[in-house]
Amino acid sequence: MATIAFKQVSKVYEGGVRAVDAIDLSIGEGEFCVLVGPSGCGKSTTLRMLAGLEEITSGTLELDARRVNDCTAKERDIAFVFQNYALYPHLTVQQNIAFGLDARRTHKSALAALLRGNSDAMRAESRAIDARVATVAQTLGLEPLLARYPRELSGGQRQRVAVGRAIARSPKVFLFDEPLSNLDARLRIETRSELRQLHRRLRATIVYVTHDQEEAMTLADRLVVMHQGRIQQNATPAACYDTPANRFVAGFIGTPQMNLIDGDLSVQHGELGFESHGFRMPLAAHWPSLSNASPQSIALGIRPDRLLLSGASAHALPATVQSIESLGDRTDLALQSAWGRLVLRATPESVAGVREGDAVHVTLAPSHAHLFEVGEVGARVPTARS
Amino acid sequence: MKRHALQYLLLILGAAAFAFPLWWMCAVSLETPQRAEAAITGSSGIVLFPTDPQWSNYAHAMQETGSTPWWGFIDALSNSIVVTVLVVAGTVLSSSLVGYAFARLRFRGSRSLFLVMLATMMLPGQVTMIPLFLLFREFGWIDSILPLVVPAYFGNAFFIFMYRQFIAQIPESLVEAARVDGLGYLAIWWRIMLPLCRPVSAICAVFTFIGTWNDFLAPLIYLHSDASATLAVALNSFKNQYGGLEDVHLLMALSLLTMIPCILIFIAAQKTFVEGLARGAVKG
Repeated sequence: MATIAFKQVSKVYEGGVRAVDAIDLSIGEGEFCVLVGPSGCGKSTTLRMLAGLEEITSGTLELDARRVNDCTAKERDIAFVFQNYALYPHLTVQQNIAFGLDARRTHKSALAALLRGNSDAMRAESRAIDARVATVAQTLGLEPLLARYPRELSGGQRQRVAVGRAIARSPKVFLFDEPLSNLDARLRIETRSELRQLHRRLRATIVYVTHDQEEAMTLADRLVVMHQGRIQQNATPAACYDTPANRFVAGFIGTPQMNLIDGDLSVQHGELGFESHGFRMPLAAHWPSLSNASPQSIALGIRPDRLLLSGASAHALPATVQSIESLGDRTDLALQSAWGRLVLRATPESVAGVREGDAVHVTLAPSHAHLFEVGEVGARVPTARS
Repeated sequence: MKRHALQYLLLILGAAAFAFPLWWMCAVSLETPQRAEAAITGSSGIVLFPTDPQWSNYAHAMQETGSTPWWGFIDALSNSIVVTVLVVAGTVLSSSLVGYAFARLRFRGSRSLFLVMLATMMLPGQVTMIPLFLLFREFGWIDSILPLVVPAYFGNAFFIFMYRQFIAQIPESLVEAARVDGLGYLAIWWRIMLPLCRPVSAICAVFTFIGTWNDFLAPLIYLHSDASATLAVALNSFKNQYGGLEDVHLLMALSLLTMIPCILIFIAAQKTFVEGLARGAVKG
C-alpha cells in the first residue's frame, strides 16, 4: 500500500506534443482512483509515467513521499495490468504468475544462495513461490488452468491471469490500463464487480485508466476526469455527476449525455433568464452571483432525466419527438426543438402514449440545471447550494 | 481430380530431379571399385542399382580417411562437430542480441548503424578473404579453429536482420511487462526474446549448421595440418595428388555419411520453421 503524489508533472513527447500538462494529483493509501477521459487525453501517459515506463519531462512524482522520477519500473514496486494482458506466450499460467517473483529472486538472493552453495535456501524460496502462486490461483479460480499456455485460454481467463500476475508480488500499487476493454459486455460487468471485491480484500492502492465513464463511475473511490492533458475534475463519482466542474465533465460523465444548450443570460423585468433561439426560460434565484449580471453568453446543461413532458404553457419548450428508444425500465426520447436536439429520459408509463412525430412540450426545473461559462471547458457557475 | 493428378505429376518429377544425384551417390557408394570407376566415366551407362552391394565400403571409407587409419576420420568428425556447435551457438546468441538491440533499444545513430550493417551483406566474401587471413595470421590463429569460430560471435548481418524484423513484431507490452516484473535489458533478451524467437533461431541454427558443416573454403584456408582438418576437408584425401579420382566408391560413401547430420537436423527443425510461437501472446 502506498500514497502517490503528482506535483506539476508534465510529459512532452519528441516533436513537442504535450500529452500531460502540469498535473497535480494525490492519491491516498488504499484508494481506488480511476483516470477517465476520451482517447488522447493523457490518462494512459499519466499511468505509464507512474509505472516508470515513460520518462517524466518535468515535475515531481512521489511514491510514499519519496521522489521516484528517476527510479526504474522495478524499483518502484508496482504491478501493471495491460490492456492486451501481455502474458508471456512461452510460459504456462503457473510460470506467468510466478515470473515477477522469480525475476526478483534471481537478482539478489538466488545469486547469494548459489555463491554460498546454499541449495536448501533456494529450495525453500522455490517452495514459497509455488505456495504464493497456489494462493493467487485459488483467489482467482485459476487452479485448473495453471498448466495451460496463454494461447489456450479465453479472453476472460487471460484477463484473470494478468490480474493474478499482478497480485502475486503484493506490490505497493496496482496499475490497470483499460483491462476490461477486450472483454464482451457481460464479462466486463462481471469482472468489474470482481475487481471491486478484490480491491476491498487487498485494500491496495489502485490506479485504473479507462475511457468508459460507466466503468469509471462504478469502480472509483475517486474519479479523475482528464482532457487535453489536464485534470478537469478530481472528486468522488457522485460529485462529478451532480456538480460537474465544467462543461467538459458535464458532457463526459453520464449516459445519455447531459443536454447542453448555448444561449444568452439576461435580466428582463428584474428576472434572470436563459434565452436561446427565441425561447426564454426563467432561472429563478439559484444563481445569486448572476442576479445583477450584465447580459452574457452562457451554456445551460440539464440531464435527460431532469427534463419533463408537460402541457403547453409559456415556460414549456415546444418540441417534436424524433425517435423513441425503449430500454425496458426506461425510455429515451430524442426531441427536436428551438434549442436544438434534446434527449429526455422518462419511465415507460409516463410516455406510454407518445409516438414518433408527436408534438410535445418540455419543462425543466431550474434547480436541476447547470450553467457553464462559454468554451469547451467553461467552468460551472456555482449555485446557491454549491 | 485431373488437376490434382497433374499437380502431383509435376511435383513427383521435380522431386525425382532433386533426388536423383543423391540416389546415384548411394548406388555408386555400394559398387565395387572397378564398377564405380566405370560409373563415373560413364562407360557403363548410368548406374541406378548396384548389382552386388558392398556394404563394407562404408567402414572402409572411414578407415581410409586422412593419413592414420580410423583416427583420421574420428579427428575430422570431432573437429567438424566442435567447430559447428561453437559457430551455431555463437551465431544464434550474437545475432539475436544485436537484432534485439536494433529492434528495441533507441540509441543515437541506430538507424545508420543498421544500414552500415546491412551494407556489409553486399560485400563478397572473396574481397575480405586475404585481409582476414593476414589479420588472423597476425593474431597467430592459423591452424587453429579460432578463425572459423570467433567471427560467429560477432553476429551475422543477414540473421541480425531477420531477428530484428521478428523482434519488432513482438508486442511492446511484453517488454514493458517484463520491465515492471523487474527484468533488465539482458534478462529480457534471455528470458523473453530468445524463447519467443524460436522459429528464427531454428532457421538461423539450421542454415548456420549446414553452412559450417559443409564449409570447405574457410577450413582449407586456415587449417593446415591433417589433425585439425574438418570432414569437408578430409573428404579431399580421396583425391590423388594429380587431382584425379581413384576410390570413387569410398568418396561417395564418406560424402553420404557427412550429409547425414544435415538431413537429420533439417527434419528435426522443420516443424519449428513453420511454428508461430508469438500466437496468443496478447488478445486473440
